[in-house]
Amino acid sequence: MSKNMISTALNHHRQALKLVLGRMRQNALSTLMISLVIAAALCVPGLFYLGVNHISSFANHIQDENEISVFLKLDADSAAIANVKDALNKNEAVQSVKFVSKDEAWQQLRDKAEKDSASSNVINELKTNPLPDAFLVLAKSSKPEDLEALKDELKALAHVDQALLNTEWVKRLSALLALGKQIIIIVAGLLAAALLIIISNTVRMQILTQKDEIIVSKLIGATNSFIRKPFLYAGMLYGLFGGLLAIVMLVGFIMIFNQTLAQLSALYNSDFSLALINLPLFAGMVCAAIAIGWLGSYVAVTRAAATININ
Amino acid sequence: MIKFDQVTKRYPGSNEVLKNASFTIEAGEFVFVTGHSGAGKSTLLKLIAAIERPSSGTVLIANQNISQLKESAIPFMRRRFGLIFQDHKLLYDRNCFENVVLPLHINGITGLEAAKRVRAALDKVGLLNKEKAMPITLSGGEQQRLAIARAVVSRPSILIADEPTGNLDANYAADIMAIFQAFHQVGVTVIMATHDALNRTATQNRLLHLDHGTLKQTNVAATEQFTA
Repeated sequence: MSKNMISTALNHHRQALKLVLGRMRQNALSTLMISLVIAAALCVPGLFYLGVNHISSFANHIQDENEISVFLKLDADSAAIANVKDALNKNEAVQSVKFVSKDEAWQQLRDKAEKDSASSNVINELKTNPLPDAFLVLAKSSKPEDLEALKDELKALAHVDQALLNTEWVKRLSALLALGKQIIIIVAGLLAAALLIIISNTVRMQILTQKDEIIVSKLIGATNSFIRKPFLYAGMLYGLFGGLLAIVMLVGFIMIFNQTLAQLSALYNSDFSLALINLPLFAGMVCAAIAIGWLGSYVAVTRAAATININ
Repeated sequence: MIKFDQVTKRYPGSNEVLKNASFTIEAGEFVFVTGHSGAGKSTLLKLIAAIERPSSGTVLIANQNISQLKESAIPFMRRRFGLIFQDHKLLYDRNCFENVVLPLHINGITGLEAAKRVRAALDKVGLLNKEKAMPITLSGGEQQRLAIARAVVSRPSILIADEPTGNLDANYAADIMAIFQAFHQVGVTVIMATHDALNRTATQNRLLHLDHGTLKQTNVAATEQFTA
């Protein structure tokens, strides 16, 4: 008996799917239009997400380097250097210390400059090394306030001219990114609501054109779930097609974007580009679209079922 | 099998369409429901087919009280009946085969088994060669036969027909009546509303005569004894 019921249920699903696919093929153009609308609505938050996500992964990368540059006074001699090094090594908050002598730094700067004629001219103008000795200090904690405190502490050491912490702009960036993420959520929410309405209206129209069929089916003993099924599948399929189209559109956008970006980032000696395939995003988009399609058609069928009466 | 006890049906904003009707229909009977237009014939059939629920009184079908059935159980109750309507209620965007297969799909029967049963049903009403035709291309009598095929394809034990010959000329009507008689002979209970059955049908058929919602006769034989 239960085996029989399972096979009946499976048959119902198969029929509903077959029926819907047949109808969609008959109305291929309108199916394509609806899918395009859904795809466009999915693309907007998708693109936003890709941009913000990429920048924030870049920012996280920087934030991980909780490094403080400690520059010594120009007149610091080797005894002074040893003193500072000692003080740094004794400091509890410091994880590791790397010494960069003024000669090393000078050499690095000249090596770099050789690739670039403009700055090499400037460097050649300089007769003596203007750079101080420096320590690159890696802090144990990566909390901004801890880093700030450590920076002030190191700055107060004898023979130390300056301690620099480049977290200020990282903080600002991450605040901006948080804002960007909130905007994505809001935009995605609004578009999801719009999609829900679009799909629900589309399915409602279909229900009305199939009114006779629904009435006859009810009269000869169709359950509500039997009547609802094809429309739920229609909504889900719209979501699926829209989601797949959105992926195609997104990949296209990324390819265009990367070409433009390649020229820009070449100027900055970087190979910044967006990845073409972002599986979690794509899967999320398709799943969200299918879920919205299901919900939209469920709302439509439930509303229509109340108005279509067989008596 | 079907038992009405003091059944009254009232639609909102109207008088009683059916008043205090009590009768029993046994399995295998051929029952005519007669009366003038508006007498309550359709309402009576709808109550039997669990399309309507009574305002008061009890309707028992196979010992189940329709009023107490859960909403979700109603569709399964309806599958016991084959319904035939005066206006056919065919789906004009599907061909004959697809129209007839619909009740089987609702029952979850598909594929070869369904096709076999659809062809058997079409054969019984003489439309086997029209399975690919669209209903709109059929004559009125053929459309009604197609509706009968759809009603019998899931082999219900009760056929309910609301004026199935109402729109047909005499030849077609005789055809349709012969088909119902054939089903009756193989044991199917037939309940048919009609306004001209008295003239034509054999007296051994049961009769439920309605006059302005009141049941006047419940048995032809009994009435004849009275008048004789």
